[in-house]
Amino acid sequence: MSPMLRQRKSISVLLAILMMLIAILSGCTKPSSSTDSSNVSTPAKTASSEAPASGGTKSNEKITLRMTVWGAPEEVAAYKVAIAKFEKKFPNITVNLQHIPTDYDTKLTAMVAGNDVPDIAQMESASIAYPLAEQGKFYNLQDFLASDSEINTGRLVPNISYSLEPGNIIGLGPGPESFALFYNEDIFKDAGLTPPPSKASEAWTWDQFVDVAKKLTIDTKGRNANDPAFDPKSIKQYGVNFGTWWGSYSNFIYSNNGDFVSEDGKTFALNQPAAVEAIQKIADLINVHHVAPSPVQAKNIPATNVALQTKKVAMAIDGQWVSAGLAQSKFHYNVGALPVMKKPMTTVVCGMFSIFKSTKHPKEAWELMKALMDPDAAIDMITAGTWMPSYRDWYTDPALLAKWTEKLDSRPSGYKDAVVNVLLNSSHQTPTGYVKNFNKIMDVVNPALDKVWLGQQSAKDAMDSIAEKAQSQVQGRRDVKG
Amino acid sequence: MRKRLFYGLLFTSPAILGFIIFTLGPMIASFVLSLTDYNVFREQTAFVGLDNYIKLFSGEDDLFYKSLGITFYFVILRVPAVIIISFVIALLLNMNVKGRAVFRTIIYLPSIVPAVASAMIWMWLLNPDLGLVNSFLSTLHLPTSNWLYAEGSVIPSVVLTTLWGIGGTVIIFLAGLSGIPKQYYESIDVDGGGWYSKLRHITIPMVTPTIFFNTIMTIIGSFQVFNEAYILTQGGPNNQSLFYVYYLWRTAFRDTQMGYASALAWVLFLIILFFTFIVFKSSKSWVYYEGGERT
Repeated sequence: MSPMLRQRKSISVLLAILMMLIAILSGCTKPSSSTDSSNVSTPAKTASSEAPASGGTKSNEKITLRMTVWGAPEEVAAYKVAIAKFEKKFPNITVNLQHIPTDYDTKLTAMVAGNDVPDIAQMESASIAYPLAEQGKFYNLQDFLASDSEINTGRLVPNISYSLEPGNIIGLGPGPESFALFYNEDIFKDAGLTPPPSKASEAWTWDQFVDVAKKLTIDTKGRNANDPAFDPKSIKQYGVNFGTWWGSYSNFIYSNNGDFVSEDGKTFALNQPAAVEAIQKIADLINVHHVAPSPVQAKNIPATNVALQTKKVAMAIDGQWVSAGLAQSKFHYNVGALPVMKKPMTTVVCGMFSIFKSTKHPKEAWELMKALMDPDAAIDMITAGTWMPSYRDWYTDPALLAKWTEKLDSRPSGYKDAVVNVLLNSSHQTPTGYVKNFNKIMDVVNPALDKVWLGQQSAKDAMDSIAEKAQSQVQGRRDVKG
Repeated sequence: MRKRLFYGLLFTSPAILGFIIFTLGPMIASFVLSLTDYNVFREQTAFVGLDNYIKLFSGEDDLFYKSLGITFYFVILRVPAVIIISFVIALLLNMNVKGRAVFRTIIYLPSIVPAVASAMIWMWLLNPDLGLVNSFLSTLHLPTSNWLYAEGSVIPSVVLTTLWGIGGTVIIFLAGLSGIPKQYYESIDVDGGGWYSKLRHITIPMVTPTIFFNTIMTIIGSFQVFNEAYILTQGGPNNQSLFYVYYLWRTAFRDTQMGYASALAWVLFLIILFFTFIVFKSSKSWVYYEGGERT
């Protein structure tokens, strides 16, 4: 082979490699259309009122639905159970489940920017759900609910649907999550104290709660917080622990008849007396009564199940999802109603599922949504303690209620009263679900609250100091017309 | 000749293409976007001219100035610390001691620990109640600190955590030090000078090009601090660690205001460019190159 020829050959090899590189690079861009079925289904109007229960849409075309979720492996496993059931019912539909455990919002934002969104996606009300909905990216699920024979708004438990404005539902939660007061029974027995009542009607007042918390806060020398010699710098067991995020303190703002914005949605309301009083009382637990760890000290408190088990804390205000962890830690725990400021109240927080407008198969996506909300499919997560069912009859029908609240480690004796009944009778929607521009308001509020939790400023001064700036971010409420 | 040009371009094409596709293209795109109100979730994007920049500087966005101030504070604290400490470490590692290779490895090791892992380690070390640092201080009866969790100490604490990963800078200093010819030191020995004269009149002048390079790289790296805010502090407490790039990221990906975030990015680019330029200009008076000439 002449040198010339050899050179030619090496060039062609190089060129071939280059071409391959380019091919790989261009392969990174999205396929022109993942669901290139020839016919475009008609949108929501013709929704599934007559979706045959026996299975399948009329045509037998192969359909792929893409769905994105976050969550722990157990939760993904539960989705897979629901999807398997769904695929069995609709043999022509395949669900392509994408699990995005971290940076979910960033990745979904990138998908939106690249015009490559899933058909159905799990969404979080505190982050990108509403910005997307405001740009009309989601179907109004009200249209589906109105014409569906199986589920409607009345069948769902309160506060699990998210609306952009009255009548425009952008997402449905597969189940609620509410707050309650978890405690270690042995600590109460040893101290000879009556544990928190489970019925909301008998719930402790705030003062009773503080009183008990003081008796249960013990320093390293065994003195409790009522002892004049009590040393707040070396506390061995805290009376109570709670998160200092909005989900946690909102329970008490609502209980005290306060709110984040006024009823007409026009005014910032965290600087109003009701909210200020609630925030101050919570901060006083840390800085005046010394019965709760400060946000800095709280970094050393392990997860609620471990904290209660190891007697680092006697009581914990936390979401009911901690039941799963508590059930696995073998010790005597129970749950009571949250202390009451003016009325019993719990905040319901939950993720949601939304259907993207760009889907070619809205009917099928809605069927998938229903499958995901079906408590029977999610029964493992519900009995494990992490989730609660989405259908109201699972709370009111004794047989169904027994399925997920009786004879389970994750559902202690106080659960039905303290969690189930409180959720049904006195629950409030999460502020992220109705306060417009919530994140921007909280960008102003959170730094000020940092100072309140650390005891550097009173709640009144802190909220007054930022009221004007927060007011400029107030844009109204989603549950008020106009 | 033409053939050589072809080969030259062919073999450098991965780098050239990489630069054009992944750096130059996005830069141009982001500059164009910075002149628009591009929001990822919105269908229409309008050209708004310099509005984004005007909004930045007009004071309407007070977090812009706040994050800028905090980032400057961080840069001012970190750059001298990195340069001085890594230079001293490099001097020590350059000495002829037993186990020099082991020490060099130990110093470099943290640099290969992923940023997230190293941040988690520091979170534990600096934990006010359980952390090793405070426990150590209190056994010595020294005052403890809330480190990352107090407004006053959060930036110095972040600087402290980043100092752990200066192995790369040390290596470059070591390379500079090993390039100093032995005979210079011998001449000082002949003249009867001690270690200080060697350091002052030989070592430091001879490594000024390395100091110069490291200073520029550290300035650029420090302005772009992000991981620490993202992992350790989320900008808190009370926005006291809201670094510029963290704020930029939050604007772009949480608030989805890509246009405005692009403007933020360009302002940072110009700031870094400006400081790099200043250091370059000043280098004429303090950087020496072999041959005795100042550049």
